[in-house]
Amino acid sequence: MRWLKCLALVPLLGTYILSAQNKQLLYDFYEIPQSLMVNPGVKANEKWHVGIPVLSGISFQAATSGVTVNDLFANDGIDFNIKVRERAINSLSRRDDFSSTSQIEVFNVGFRGRNRPDDYYSFGMYGETDIIVYWPRDLAILAFEGNGGANIGSSFDLGHLNVRGEMLNVLHFGINRKIDSELTVGVRAKLYSSIFNFKSTNNSGSFRTSPGEQNILENSIEADMQLQTAGVDEFLDIIDQGTGTRRRDTRNLFTRRALLGGNLGLGFDAGFTYKLNEQTTITASILDVGFIYNTKDVRNFTLEGAASNEGINVFLPEDVDNLGTDLWQELIDEIEAAVPYDENSNGYISFRPVKAYGSIRYDFGEGSSKTSTIDCGCAINVVGGRSEQYYRNSIGGQLFLQKRPLGIQPAVTGFYQRRFGRSLSIKGAYTVDKYSFSNVGLGLNLQAGPINFYILGDNLLAYRNVADSHYASLQFGFNIISWNGN
Amino acid sequence: MRPTLSLLFTLVIPLILCLSCSEEQDFDQFDDLNINPAVASSIFSFVADEDFINTLTAVNTFYTQTFIFEAFSEQFVAERLLEGTITYEFENTTSKPLNIIVEFLDAGDNVLDFENFNIAQGPNETQTRNVEYGPNGKPLDILINTASIRVTGRNLGDTVSVSPEQDARVTMQSAAEFIFELVE
Repeated sequence: MRWLKCLALVPLLGTYILSAQNKQLLYDFYEIPQSLMVNPGVKANEKWHVGIPVLSGISFQAATSGVTVNDLFANDGIDFNIKVRERAINSLSRRDDFSSTSQIEVFNVGFRGRNRPDDYYSFGMYGETDIIVYWPRDLAILAFEGNGGANIGSSFDLGHLNVRGEMLNVLHFGINRKIDSELTVGVRAKLYSSIFNFKSTNNSGSFRTSPGEQNILENSIEADMQLQTAGVDEFLDIIDQGTGTRRRDTRNLFTRRALLGGNLGLGFDAGFTYKLNEQTTITASILDVGFIYNTKDVRNFTLEGAASNEGINVFLPEDVDNLGTDLWQELIDEIEAAVPYDENSNGYISFRPVKAYGSIRYDFGEGSSKTSTIDCGCAINVVGGRSEQYYRNSIGGQLFLQKRPLGIQPAVTGFYQRRFGRSLSIKGAYTVDKYSFSNVGLGLNLQAGPINFYILGDNLLAYRNVADSHYASLQFGFNIISWNGN
Repeated sequence: MRPTLSLLFTLVIPLILCLSCSEEQDFDQFDDLNINPAVASSIFSFVADEDFINTLTAVNTFYTQTFIFEAFSEQFVAERLLEGTITYEFENTTSKPLNIIVEFLDAGDNVLDFENFNIAQGPNETQTRNVEYGPNGKPLDILINTASIRVTGRNLGDTVSVSPEQDARVTMQSAAEFIFELVE
C-alpha cells in the first residue's frame, strides 16, 4: 500500500523534485547571454558567446501555493494525520497548485552578423520539464473521508482534477536586431521535440450520495473526464519489462525522443526593448507561443456519461418473472455501460504554457569611466559615446504573466541592479505572486575575462527554513563571451 | 578579476549555503498516514404490494430471491475492510404481519449469518435496524466470505384481508456504510 501513500502526496513531494517559470532575475539582465531566452529582443551587447555545454543554463524552480514540506513533515510531535487533514485536506482550495519547471541548456551559441552587425543570432538546444498539479480538493476529500457519514448529501466536483506535465527538448534559433538607437526587436523560432506529455484539464462532472427514493441511498455520477498521454507508455513498458537492459533502453528512448524522434511541435518567442529616453527603457516579450502535435505513443483515458443507482430494486409483482441470480453484476454492468471507461489513441494537440514579460527600467548613476564601456568593442549598443553600462544603477518593475490550466497567473517584480564596472553586476528583486509575498531574490553576474558566470536565486528569505518555502528557484550557468576580438 | 572571483567563491556562495537551513524534518511520518474513507451505498430493496401477497394462497412465502453478491469478498475490499454498518428499513402498510429473512451465504451456499425481521401488521412506523460489523459487532468474516445473499419474505397472516390503507405494500430497503483502510 505504500504506492497509495505516495500517490496521495505526490503533488507535495513532486514540488521539490522538479522545478516554475518566472525568471524575473534573468529577465532584462542583459549582461547574461541567456537573457535572450526570456526576451529575444533584449539589448544584446556581445560580439559572440558560447555557453559551456550543459552548464550554460541550468534552472530549477519549484512552487507550492498551499502547504509546504515543513507544514507536513516538521518534527513537531503533531500527529501526521492531523497535519494532513488540517493543513491539506481542510485548507487547500482547488486553485492551490504544486508546480515545477526545470531547464537544462545543452548548448547555446550566439554571434553577431558579419555583414549585418545590427543582428545578433543565437541558437541552441535545451531540455525542459514542466509540471503543474492543482490540488484536487473534492477528490482528496472523497478519498480521505469517503462518500458516507457527514458527506452524504455532498456533491464532489470531478472537475477538480487538473494536471498537466511534459518533458521536451527544444531546438531554437533567434534573431535579435537593433532597429535604431531606441528600438531593438527579436524573434526566436522553436522546434519542440516531445519526450512525454500528459494532461487532464477541462474535466467536469460530479459524484453525489444522497437519500434515495427507492432505497436508503442514491449514488449518482455525471462525468466528462479525460486523461491524455503521449510518450508515456513506452517508458512504462521498459520499466515493466524489468530486464537488464532497462537503463540502456530508457536512455536510448529518451535520446531518440529528444532528437526529433518523438512528437514534434513548433513555436516562437518575440520581444523588444525600447528606450523612451536616455535613461528609461521599456521591454516586453512573449514566450512559447506554440504547440506540439501528439500522434505517437498516444494513450488516452476517458470517463464519460451519467448514472445513478440505489442498489438492486425489485418491485413485485412486476419483477416476479424477471429474477435472476446476477442482479448485482447486472447492476454493475449497467453502471459501467452508462459511464464507460474507455481508452483510445487519438492524436491531440498540446499547447505550450505561454509566458509574457513586460518591464520598465530607469538607469541612473553615471559611471566614473566612460572608456571602460567604450572599450568593450560592442559598438552596436554604444550611443553617442555612451552605453547602458555607463549607468551603474538600474531600478524598475516587471510584470510576468503565464497561462495556466485555471487561468492567467501573474507576478509583479520590483528590482534594483548595480553594476561594478563591466566585470560584476548584481540584481536584487522583490516579487509578489500567488506563491509568496516575501520573495526577495538576488542575481549575480560575473565576467572574468572571457568567462562569464551567473547565479540567480529566488526567495532567499525562505532559505532560513527551506522546507517551509512556498517557492524556490535557482539558475546558474557558465558562458564564454567575446566583447571584442578576444 | 581575482578579487571578484575570490569574493564569489569565498564569501557569497558560502554565505548562501550558511544561511540556508531547515527545521528538522521527519519523513518517516509518512508511514503513519492513514486513509480510512467511509464508503456508503444502497444494497437491495424490494416492494411487494398487498394484492400480490394475497394471490399466493398455497404457500406463505411470497418472495424469495438469491442473488450473487461478492462486493465484500472482492480481494481489494476484503483486505481493507475495517468496520461498518448495514442498515435495514421496513415499512409495512398491509393488513398482515410479515417475516423477512436476509441470509448471507458462502460459495457453497452455506448460511454464514442471517437477520430475521418480524414486522407487525400495518400500518406502522418505519422499522430500522443497524447491524454493526467489525470490532464492535459481528465478525467481518461473515461479509468477506459472503458470495450471495438470499432474501425471503413470508406472510404470517391471511391472504384475504385488505388493508384500509391506500396502495398497501411492504417495503424493505438496505444500505451499507463501511470504513476501509485505503492506506495503512
